[in-house]
Amino acid sequence: MFCIASFIILSIIAIFNAAYRDLAREAYDCVFRRITFKPCNTGFKEKMKAKLSGQLLNRSVRAARFFNHHFELLSWIFFILTIGSIFWTGKGLFNFYMYGSCNGLNKSGFCALDPKGENNKVSQAGGSCTSGTGDESKVTLNGVNTSIFPSINIGAKDSVVLIGCYSCDYTRKAYPTIKKLITENKVNYTFAHYPVKEETLYLLPIGYCAYKQNPTAYWQLNDQLFENSKEDIAKREFVDTLLQKNGYDIEAINSCISSPEAQSAVVERRIELEKTNIYGTPLLFINNKGLVGPKPYRVYERILKGFKFW
Amino acid sequence: MKQINYIDIKKDFSLLGNPNLHYFDNACQTLRPRQVIEAMTKYYEDYPACGGRSMHRLAAQVTKQCEEARQIIASFIGAKRKEEIVFTRNTTEGINLVANSLNLKAGDVVLTTDKEHNSNLIPWQMFVKKLGIIHVIVPSKPDNTFDLEAYTQLLEKHSAKLVSMAMTSNLDGVSIPADKVVKLAHQHKALMLLDGAQAVPHHSVNVGKLDVDFLAFSGHKMLGPSGIGVLYGKFHLLEELSPFLVGGDTVSSSTYTTQEFLPPPEKFEAGLQDYAGIIGLGEAVNYLNRVGLSAIEAQELELNTYLTEAISSIDGLKILGPEDPKTRSGIVSFYIPGKDHHQIALMLDESAGFLVRSGQHCVHSWFALKQIPGTVRVSFYFYNTLEEAEAFVHSLKKVVSIL
Repeated sequence: MFCIASFIILSIIAIFNAAYRDLAREAYDCVFRRITFKPCNTGFKEKMKAKLSGQLLNRSVRAARFFNHHFELLSWIFFILTIGSIFWTGKGLFNFYMYGSCNGLNKSGFCALDPKGENNKVSQAGGSCTSGTGDESKVTLNGVNTSIFPSINIGAKDSVVLIGCYSCDYTRKAYPTIKKLITENKVNYTFAHYPVKEETLYLLPIGYCAYKQNPTAYWQLNDQLFENSKEDIAKREFVDTLLQKNGYDIEAINSCISSPEAQSAVVERRIELEKTNIYGTPLLFINNKGLVGPKPYRVYERILKGFKFW
Repeated sequence: MKQINYIDIKKDFSLLGNPNLHYFDNACQTLRPRQVIEAMTKYYEDYPACGGRSMHRLAAQVTKQCEEARQIIASFIGAKRKEEIVFTRNTTEGINLVANSLNLKAGDVVLTTDKEHNSNLIPWQMFVKKLGIIHVIVPSKPDNTFDLEAYTQLLEKHSAKLVSMAMTSNLDGVSIPADKVVKLAHQHKALMLLDGAQAVPHHSVNVGKLDVDFLAFSGHKMLGPSGIGVLYGKFHLLEELSPFLVGGDTVSSSTYTTQEFLPPPEKFEAGLQDYAGIIGLGEAVNYLNRVGLSAIEAQELELNTYLTEAISSIDGLKILGPEDPKTRSGIVSFYIPGKDHHQIALMLDESAGFLVRSGQHCVHSWFALKQIPGTVRVSFYFYNTLEEAEAFVHSLKKVVSIL
């Protein structure tokens, strides 16, 4: 057991430190002999036992004695821990590749490959842009009427629903990736504005009215709202220039946003979005599978394409 | 008797300046002083030419230096003439040279002891198979000392052609009574070959006084470079022997069908020689002469006496050979039944930097006979100190306490 565990550990260390390569080779020889049922006469285990005991002896005679007397047991523990570590490392790598987080889909525990948890960060409703602390497992599109939100390619087989906020750092970070996803793949794409900060609350009725007035120009406006700075889009005058650039009738938009219809539509959409159990943005649904926080492109594409991805 | 000046000696051996290493594996090979390394470097840098062949000035210098080394070594062992010194690679090659040059035939008897190094065992085993010689083993006494009575009886029983024995055993440091052994061999018309690998570096060996026919020893066990050794042979015997390795520089002339061999030692030194090694060995002998063999012997005895007494109290520890350290040269070979000798050696190295040998020391046959897995062998040389020996005992006790 000691040989196997040592071989694994030493092989990994030897990748980075040439001084351990000879030991790794010895460990390999020991393992090879074991698995081919040859007599294990390399003395590797005994050598390592003596070396480690010798080192320990300088620090504590007691510890060295304990180590020496219980070497077999400690080897087993070492072996089990090594196998356990390999399993968890493998699982972490798998999860990171598949979901952008070592802990699995929408799980925001520590991940060495994403130590700051960037792939799971969300902007919480009413709060600042921080790590999300909601129940990731409960986000759903069940019972949510997505047809009332701006959509393109209606009727396409695959669907992507982005619930995001123009002033949320993480939605802004995820947006180019999502844009690439919907450009490179024919999907029924729906966007729902879910402001998590007060400064972009006013864009709710504007978005509703702009889509109603010109659905084609709406998507250009949507892109521009993500592309321009948070400070600029927080100003109504700036947004008006964008509306004008995209050929919107400002007066008609103004008239629309003050109408009871627009107010009620805003409320209706908010109520609808709450049904998703959203606790922060961005929240993306790909074929109804919820993803919280900005994920790498491969994660989105893999979920969208399923087996075809491979 | 000269006193060993440790301050000077420490300057000559770079490893002795490392307080974390204590070299106690001198029976395997010794350290080399700066003077030996410098002499070899000088050859490679200043006159790296062939000896005994070319006529140019560098070649002449190589020849001169090598012949000087030959003379130094001849004087060191009391040979009558330098031509009795044949350079070999090591003791093993020296023994093989004699074994292969004696023209042994089926039925010829070769006597050895029961604790010979493989270098003085395997050649005879091969000839038993190949030629049908008879290999007779003289058993040691229970305390591992030489059994002169058994030896005499075997000499009387067999008409031995050759007696080949280690003067001092690398296994336990025990020496045979070489003068008596040689005398008895000659009385029974047998030739005598001594393996001097563990003897020549540690005490005075005079081939003239011993009247031994052949003596083989190695440079690397006496401060010299590795890859160089010596076979001494009485000149008239060397003249009679057929050369073992033949070729370049062993003949004075040749035709397509005949050859005229050179006299000894040239006829045994085939091919280009290890000139740097020869010069280095000459310098090593000079160094030993300066230190003095009697001082070396006294120092080893002091260390062995201390160590023997200090470790005898360790529970279960058994020292190979007789209790009296005087009979064990600079070697203390010990084991503790049930404790792994390799583990002890490795832990001594790892925990305190004591470099000792563990295993069967190329005397597998003896260990198989005695059913002992192996020993830890401490082998001193004159540059080892009592302080080191004391520290060793302390470390050994610590190691044993955790096993």
